[in-house]
Amino acid sequence: MQAIAESSKPKTQSTSPLLTFWRTFRRNPMALVGLTMLIIILLLAVFARQLAPYDVTSSANVSTADIYNPPGGAHLLGTDDAGKDVLSNFFFGARISLIVGFFAAFISVFIGGVIGIVAGFYGGRIENILMRFTDIMLVIPDLPLMVVIVALTKPSLINIIFVIGLLGWTTTARIVRSQTLAVKSRKFVLRARAIGAGNFHIILHHILPLVMPLLVVNAILVISLAILNESALSFIGLGDPTALSWGQMLNYAFGRGAMSAGAWWALVVPGLGIVWVVLALTLLGHGLEQVLNPRLEFHHLEPGRPVVQSEARQPVARAEDGRPILLEVQNLSVDYVTAGKPPARAVENVSFQLREGELMGLVGESGCGKTTLMLALLRLLPPAGQIVGGKVWFMGRDLTAMDETELQTVRWNGISIVFQGAMNAFNPVRTIGDQIFEAIQKHTPILPEDKIEDRVSELLELVGISAEHKAHFPHQYSGGMRQRAMIAMALACNPSVVIADEPTTALDVMIQAQILELLDSLRKKLGLSIIFVTHDLGVVAEMCDSVLVMYGGVTAEYASVDTIYNAPRHPYTQELLKAFPDLSKLDKRLASIPGYPPRLDQLPPGCRFAPRCPQALERCHTQPPALHRLEGTHVASCHLLDG
Amino acid sequence: MERRQYLLKKIGWSLFTILFVLVLNFFLFRILPGDPARAGVKDPRLKKEAIEAIQVRFGLDKPVVNCFESLNPVKLGSCTVNPLETQFFIYVGNLLRGELGISYHTNRPVAAILAERLWNTILLIGAGQILSIIVGVILGIFAAWKARTAIDYGALLTSLLAWSLPTFWLGIILLFWGSANGLPIGGKATPGSSTLPPVQQWTDIFQHMLLPTLTYTIVYMGEYTLIMRSSLLDVLAEDYILTAKAKGLSTFQILKDHALKNAMLPLVTVIAINLGFTVAGALQIEAVFSWPGLGGAIYESVVRRDYPVLQGAFLLIAVAVILANLIADLTYSYLDPRVQSE
Amino acid sequence: MTNMDYFLEVRDLKKYFQAGRPGWFSKSTRLVHAVDDISLQLQRGEVIALVGESGCGKSTLALTLMGLEKPTAGQIIFEGEDITHADESQLKTLRQRIQMVFQDPYESLNPTQSIEEIVGEPLVVHDLGLSPAERRERVVRALEDAGLKPADIYMRRFPHELSGGQRQRVVIAGALVLEPHLLLADEPVSMLDVSIRAEILNLLADLRKSRQISIIFITHDLGTVGYFADRIAVMYLGRIVETGAMREVLESPQHPYTRALLSVIPVPNPRLRRERVILQGETPNPIDLPSGCRFHPRCPVAIERCKQEDPPYVRLSATHQTACWLVKEA
Repeated sequence: MQAIAESSKPKTQSTSPLLTFWRTFRRNPMALVGLTMLIIILLLAVFARQLAPYDVTSSANVSTADIYNPPGGAHLLGTDDAGKDVLSNFFFGARISLIVGFFAAFISVFIGGVIGIVAGFYGGRIENILMRFTDIMLVIPDLPLMVVIVALTKPSLINIIFVIGLLGWTTTARIVRSQTLAVKSRKFVLRARAIGAGNFHIILHHILPLVMPLLVVNAILVISLAILNESALSFIGLGDPTALSWGQMLNYAFGRGAMSAGAWWALVVPGLGIVWVVLALTLLGHGLEQVLNPRLEFHHLEPGRPVVQSEARQPVARAEDGRPILLEVQNLSVDYVTAGKPPARAVENVSFQLREGELMGLVGESGCGKTTLMLALLRLLPPAGQIVGGKVWFMGRDLTAMDETELQTVRWNGISIVFQGAMNAFNPVRTIGDQIFEAIQKHTPILPEDKIEDRVSELLELVGISAEHKAHFPHQYSGGMRQRAMIAMALACNPSVVIADEPTTALDVMIQAQILELLDSLRKKLGLSIIFVTHDLGVVAEMCDSVLVMYGGVTAEYASVDTIYNAPRHPYTQELLKAFPDLSKLDKRLASIPGYPPRLDQLPPGCRFAPRCPQALERCHTQPPALHRLEGTHVASCHLLDG
Repeated sequence: MERRQYLLKKIGWSLFTILFVLVLNFFLFRILPGDPARAGVKDPRLKKEAIEAIQVRFGLDKPVVNCFESLNPVKLGSCTVNPLETQFFIYVGNLLRGELGISYHTNRPVAAILAERLWNTILLIGAGQILSIIVGVILGIFAAWKARTAIDYGALLTSLLAWSLPTFWLGIILLFWGSANGLPIGGKATPGSSTLPPVQQWTDIFQHMLLPTLTYTIVYMGEYTLIMRSSLLDVLAEDYILTAKAKGLSTFQILKDHALKNAMLPLVTVIAINLGFTVAGALQIEAVFSWPGLGGAIYESVVRRDYPVLQGAFLLIAVAVILANLIADLTYSYLDPRVQSE
Repeated sequence: MTNMDYFLEVRDLKKYFQAGRPGWFSKSTRLVHAVDDISLQLQRGEVIALVGESGCGKSTLALTLMGLEKPTAGQIIFEGEDITHADESQLKTLRQRIQMVFQDPYESLNPTQSIEEIVGEPLVVHDLGLSPAERRERVVRALEDAGLKPADIYMRRFPHELSGGQRQRVVIAGALVLEPHLLLADEPVSMLDVSIRAEILNLLADLRKSRQISIIFITHDLGTVGYFADRIAVMYLGRIVETGAMREVLESPQHPYTRALLSVIPVPNPRLRRERVILQGETPNPIDLPSGCRFHPRCPVAIERCKQEDPPYVRLSATHQTACWLVKEA
């Protein structure tokens, strides 16, 4: 048994989830600001007695002349309707509002959490009953119900805490339930069952740790809602008359003529307190959510990075055999740029030519850059991606020099893409026919609508889908059908080149055979050129004319399919072939390549494959190999070919 | 067929929820110590005729519900009482006749009082919701589209701040500022304005509506901005947006034809769920601005301990929200083709 | 042949599910025939490959054998014991002898647990009376047997720090720590890069030899089984359509489905252009089963009889049998 190669050992520093969390949290401005604001107000509340300049419990030294005194002098923030110091009341009011908020929220979150986990985990009738009940409580308007209950009972602090708490659990229950359901269906829970763990163990060790983050975020939200609810209740006059919360302060001020007296300080100050706390909690909650549930770093409509222009080498119009060359890629390099880190080179110096009618296979494993390369051709890279060198010539035009408007005329019209995993490649709320229609209309706007409809039907029939399905939605198609529909759409504008990015990877082997046969027949019928991206060497052998093998972002080897399979010169190609099962040679032992493909931000100096190469020389580890030209179009980048 | 089943299921469920609220309403007002009927009977403010009317209408001499004389569970009564003779069914019967009791404060039938107010609340919530949705959606779209730029951060902070404002407090501040600048300090219309020609009447109402609607809009647009932004960000990161881009569509076309519809779907759900919360906002706003709506009715009835009005207003508001939720649910199912049956 | 001859014997096993969710008032009467009359036998130390496309029921079969799903009918006899209707506590002790390896190394591990916790979890769950030091010792041994040497560097790591191949080794270590007799490997390499797959397959092959573990290897990729399996069983729509020694099935397949499958599996040899039998359409859903032989709608050589009667098994050699009207008994 081979031990794992050095390059694949984990780093010496362990990064527990808690540590990772803290590091991300520290860098989130919203969360930090929110937390700071919260700590400040908590400190003010805790040290109210020390901070308050006046004792607001006693009425000594207070006369009617003290009512509604403006800020300044003896009272920093003025006095209220009873002549008491607003600032001091502010500090003590903080206590009440915060206490009610936290305790009520605690009750809500506890109830909601238990209901959510029980409903989500146990399912069936229990879930049905609990969730129906939750839905009812969710629909019934909160505040009016709270008002009714408190009005009919005693408006004491304990009462209010309980009422707010007992009515505030509905959002928590829903969120916890859906999260529990999501976690429950994850494979590691199945594994836990498979090793014999009981329900309690699973809930404790698997469900809870993964539900907790969301629960915490929700708890923060619930606290803020509880504080808002308490202040609203107090304002309406249902607050505890003995506890002067901020809401109660506002109730008295509003009801006892602060407005007509122009005593804005009595109205603004308590309100600002509420805003401060709620804003603190809201910022903290949103920041935490970003930290715990990070979204993708980009979306597809964000502006991309400009292409770094390089010197043009004129494209070759015809190949040696006379066939026209439709697509020529010259020394293309692509970086991924993230702030604060050095750029990661995803594709380095890759070149190839695609002739008319040729089917080129692009082979490589995860992280080799093949998808990046394909996206770069049509300038569809994510915002962090940037073409930093090289050119892409399509029918004599330089795609790297075009602006977005021009590119839009080439996309789909000249070059189209069949994406992998067609599940979400189609818009789920529009019909398939509609989405094909759209492509045709964009590029041939003068065509009348009925003609376009005919073409849509024609295209679907071409790929073996009966035209009546064009009014159906993607979810009504099976996986194989969706892939065919994707192909139909890709052909809609009669492109010269079709890029098929792992089109059959997720499909069964029989469906895969159907799709491959379809592609092959379409290619012959329509004279298409196809770039077929895959990791499956068998498929490439069956279908392709030429093969580009990529590793770690560079070209390992590029040659005709026959050469690649029968006379490969690059060790990676050789090892890959040895690792690929061959049913025609059952006696062959499956070899493996120790280690694993390099990460873009940890590229080895020298040859990218050297750490795993059985034939590596000294210089392979320090110097990157040159691209050697062998017979015909055969190239390989390896030091073994030096001189 | 599946769609019809779905509709029936949803409608049936709403009816069940309304029933639940009826029962809840009934028992709340009987169980809780401030039992209005009995309290009302003792209330010295009521005239003798009113007290008798209450006794008859609420059937205070009859058992509460079958097997229970009163709400004291230990003291069982006869289980063979004609169910129609129990307080609960008298209550339901009254409701079905549109009979909601008599206000302690004004001695007018509650139903009549609330009927006027219902439309005022709808007017206020309607105008406020529409505005806050429009503002929220537009802001949210820009924030998501221009993610991670100044526009996004600005919109985000504004919405978070708006969301953090207590509704009643914002109302107070705006009222304070408004009254200092010539705007009316409350109510729906200037007294005596009903004699004016319609255009001027409506201008008058408009002036009175300005601040309350503004309060409503500011508070709720924050939430809608956040939801729209979040929803659109998710949509714009989906694979089909990349497909659309690869097809050569322009950014505007992609937003219009692919992103917005998908992003709005969750918004419909949120608007529905929110209706319960917006009523809470309406309550506060109507209290501050003395707007003669259902929320204001609740507020005033609390202040005056006018329980029949409180009970009636609560019921009406709850039923309205349940029905609005139903409509939103049904609308959603028409918009999203993936929803077939539960 | 008595029960004791076989390490594992499955007889006429059926597992049906209800189609659609039951409502408050209605019960669905439509059934998903996920596993529909499966019989197979396994010797100690033997590796059998269960091959089939999605929807054929192979994963459901694995879950049923593990006791994670209750059989609808039939029998499972393991090491002489009838475990078909095992209760909770019986199942728990059973888990010490039957373990499972899952397909997705990225999802099979709880991201909040360290490697030591993950691999040690079975020991904690089964409470074998081990001291923490003894537990640690066994975890280390399991990790090293799975090829993660030296185990110390891996113990305190978390899943996100490891590569796909390493994670899969952790999953295997977790399955080995209880020293099971039978391993159910459900597509253990299909989500790994090609260059890594052989490592894992070789690991399993070595474990079979060193620990005498029997393995049921479930896959859709016929290509990988050639190196590893002693026997192959081909599944279609809940049934086994052909079973036999590995070479027999791969070199002279008899069932039209097996032949079609083998003919379309891409072979990395551009000079070998074979006659491919590409079946039309897709596997029908297991709710509305075709009449007669369930393969007949897609079968390129179906005759009239195939539509009407379900063919019985026909023996072709001591180890090779298939169910097809066109195949004669040897």
